[in-house]
Amino acid sequence: MSTATPVSPRGTLGVDTPKGPAQILANRRGLAKLLLLAVVAAVVVPLLSAKYGAAWPHALTVDVSGPLDKTSSWIIDNRDSHWLFVYFLGHLSNAVVLSVRGVYLLLLALGWTGVTAGVTLLAWRVAGWRIALTALLSFVVSGLLGMWVPTMQTLALMVVAVVVSVAVGALLGLAAGLSDRLFRILRPVLDTMQVLPAFAYLLPVVLVFGIGVPAALLATVIYAAPPMARLTALGLRGADAGVLEASASLGATGRQRLLTARLPLARKELLLGVNQTIMMALSMAVIASVIGAAGLGDRVYQALASVDVGAALAAAIPIVLLAIVMDRTTAAAGEKIGADTSAAGPAFLRGWRAWTGVAVVTAALALLGRLSGSLVWPTGWAVDIAHPVNDFKEWMVNHLYSGVPVVGGTADWAAHFTNWVLNPLRDGLTALPWYGTLLLVAALAWLIGTWRTALTAVLAMAAIGVLGVWKPSMNTLSQVLAALVVTLVLGFAIGILAAGSKRLEAILRPVLDVMQTMPQFVYLIPVVALFAVGRAPAAAAAVVYALPAVIRITTQGLRQVDPAAMESARSLGATRWQILRQVQLPLARPALLLAVNQGVVLVLAVVIIGGLVGGGALGYDVVTGLATGDLGLGLVAGVAIVCLGLMLDRVTQPTERRTTGKGA
Amino acid sequence: MASTATGASAANPSKKTAATEDREVVFSVRHLWKVFGPKADRIPDDASVTGLSAQELREQTGCTAAVRDVSFDVHKGEVFVVMGLSGSGKSTLVRCLTRLIEPTSGDLEMDGEDVRAMDRGTLRELRRRRASMVFQHFGLLPHRSVVDNVAYGLEIQGMGKSERRERANEMVEKVGLGGLEKRRPGQLSGGQQQRVGLARALAVDPEVLLFDEPFSALDPLIRRDMQEEVVRLHREEGRTMVFITHDLAEALRLGDRIALMRDGEIVQLGTPEEIVGSPADDYVRDFVRDVPREQVLTVRKAMRPVQDGEADQGPALGPDTLISDAIEAVARSGGAARVVDDGRCLGIVDHACLLNVVARVDHRPEEVAA
Repeated sequence: MSTATPVSPRGTLGVDTPKGPAQILANRRGLAKLLLLAVVAAVVVPLLSAKYGAAWPHALTVDVSGPLDKTSSWIIDNRDSHWLFVYFLGHLSNAVVLSVRGVYLLLLALGWTGVTAGVTLLAWRVAGWRIALTALLSFVVSGLLGMWVPTMQTLALMVVAVVVSVAVGALLGLAAGLSDRLFRILRPVLDTMQVLPAFAYLLPVVLVFGIGVPAALLATVIYAAPPMARLTALGLRGADAGVLEASASLGATGRQRLLTARLPLARKELLLGVNQTIMMALSMAVIASVIGAAGLGDRVYQALASVDVGAALAAAIPIVLLAIVMDRTTAAAGEKIGADTSAAGPAFLRGWRAWTGVAVVTAALALLGRLSGSLVWPTGWAVDIAHPVNDFKEWMVNHLYSGVPVVGGTADWAAHFTNWVLNPLRDGLTALPWYGTLLLVAALAWLIGTWRTALTAVLAMAAIGVLGVWKPSMNTLSQVLAALVVTLVLGFAIGILAAGSKRLEAILRPVLDVMQTMPQFVYLIPVVALFAVGRAPAAAAAVVYALPAVIRITTQGLRQVDPAAMESARSLGATRWQILRQVQLPLARPALLLAVNQGVVLVLAVVIIGGLVGGGALGYDVVTGLATGDLGLGLVAGVAIVCLGLMLDRVTQPTERRTTGKGA
Repeated sequence: MASTATGASAANPSKKTAATEDREVVFSVRHLWKVFGPKADRIPDDASVTGLSAQELREQTGCTAAVRDVSFDVHKGEVFVVMGLSGSGKSTLVRCLTRLIEPTSGDLEMDGEDVRAMDRGTLRELRRRRASMVFQHFGLLPHRSVVDNVAYGLEIQGMGKSERRERANEMVEKVGLGGLEKRRPGQLSGGQQQRVGLARALAVDPEVLLFDEPFSALDPLIRRDMQEEVVRLHREEGRTMVFITHDLAEALRLGDRIALMRDGEIVQLGTPEEIVGSPADDYVRDFVRDVPREQVLTVRKAMRPVQDGEADQGPALGPDTLISDAIEAVARSGGAARVVDDGRCLGIVDHACLLNVVARVDHRPEEVAA
């Protein structure tokens, strides 16, 4: 990256020697790329506009809804007779239903006393008493909110989904970690799967399994297994070569080497994989309520459908608490590795004795609950927050939505944002000739990345046109772009401030931690409360969801700038502003690009889900497709989402691949 | 360098037994090649390219010959040092000995068995019990305690837990890490970590110890300690060692014989005295220029023929006496000293002879001495 030098590149170039145009082009590769594209455009654009016109030409679309509908009805007709379903998918689906049901019944049989005690003690053993206290608190709160049964339903689905995801992911990762060829094949697939919005996975599984628990579980596994596979493979590959050689020099067999060196060396990555898998499984298990997963997500979904903010919040609070407990527990387990574990309290608090203790106390409390006849959280202890919350919301509607002096109301803001930003942007994107859009995409992707990323991006964009969903896709794109700009402006500003002030960073850190653990779905609730429904709230939710990651990456990037470069700038008498502009920002360019990339991916994920709260466009098509059984419509929208995700990711893809996972 | 001086003299007593020619051969290496690159196996047999320099070879064939036509024997009980700058192929060479890196061509025998013909099982047995290696970057398992790291080789052999722990504890004691058994490698200093690596290699009681630049990553003072540790171990156990290093002082200090490598070839093979006293070419001469010769060479190199009447005058010195010691003797007595072996006077060293060695005036009276 030639522009990443701290000294202004223009100062060193072209002062003394006059240069020919060829030399200038050779020095500035970006300009050369653009010039080449301009030449291509000058030839192709007149041809295309003469032949097809500005709107995506009808001749270039392929109607896939017919075949899709046929496939879907074939599957529905043959679900009970064809061997594929009877002997394979049927068994699979039965196994899923049985195991989820089994775990659910087990949780119910343990009773609220048993489950609460078990989880609390588990968290205490793995992560210490603080997290244990949080766990205890979360289960009590979910009981108090009257959400005990949905919490158990979600937990049951989660347990099965996480076990399957971790197993599948670990196996895939093991294979990719040991075989170079498999790694080369799997890596781009896994990388891509990690940038796709959750909604894209829903339709295909529904097509095969129909709406219900098996589809929900499968979608969750498909969504949550890739991080495990990725991190397992990377962990196994990243193992210290020196240690492996030492192991070989002692005569270890391949198996011995795997078990005694490779896997233990990758423990950190494996646990990080489990952590990410759990977080993504929770996120998806909640979203999968759209395709028939019962539990907390379903409560939120139902409540959102009727804009019942109070009920939605009552279900969302346990989700957030569950997410925090799970994240902190697995993260603590990861941190414990490598730390010295030899000295930790008296003997009865260590090793198998402690675990036996945990089991005994859990069993005793479960028995106690059973004897006292209260298996499900006693209804008398429930607190109804839905009404007060709704009253508060009513108050907000009456007092904050509009007519607040000077600043206006939240609904006014939303309306202004829609009218002044979203609408012009959408209309502009739709009015832009399609070849113009393709050229723009190509130029952006090529400037930031390589010709490969540019090609992928253009092909993905063209596929959207071919599928005949150009218009809704442009609508979605306009929301993404608007939300992205807001996210980046806010994120970079806060990130720069936080990088400059230790105190601000200390205040922000816990807030960001919590925000990054919350499932996407939850973000819809406060924005609906504040801005009602529509495209503006969807964009607002996207901004809030993507902001933490952008802030964090920006801060880290600026903090990691070589202190020697900063010091030398300061010794030359640079002001703070000069240091920021001339040293820190250029040196942190890779991090800033990564922040843009992550921001795009995260914003898209929530804009799509925004279809549930009036975001319209592709997300709405998926929801409508599911609701009306028009799988063709939903599937096409799903594919378009995939293409849009691919395009946005590739366009913002710096040459080096990111290594962090999605959000979490 | 002060360390060279004291080191060489400290190590010298063990070198008095360096008459190794008639000893049993442990490793026998003949015409060994290791070539990296496309169609590497063709290079050693192709007479048109084997004579090329490293750079020419790379330009013409795209291959790099890390080890080129190397032949030597390692005798039982000796410390055989392979020394060279980075990129000279010494680390590749030592890995070829147990086929951690597969040689391209040549013959390689250990105790008369053809190592290159061994199947995987036999080769594993060789690595498990007969030759173990100490690495530059230690290669310890970070998640295991010191004692479990030391026991790792025994675990791979399939030894039971209590037995291998017991043995590992002995080894930990032996390398001076008693009391640190339960620590993790991350909690140890570099020197301590390498002691763990050494103990791990010793635990399997191998016939040969292979050292791959074991002390290069350590601070100078700790390096000295570790070198003394190796000298001590060798004196106590007399185990055969192959020692790779890029540090000339270390090579002179530890080696009974030194093979000096450059661009994959052995430029000179001999005792420290031979290397310093009669460098094979300008490269070696350049290499050993700064070595304090009086600390390495013996009076055998400095003496002149006996002249009439000198055979029974002055102090008597053994033929393996270092020049530095002879200087002291000559200075004290004020006259020339005799070099005596088994009561026979081999020659005379006087002020002039000794000064010639120190001042590098290569006026050599060897013909007479022989």
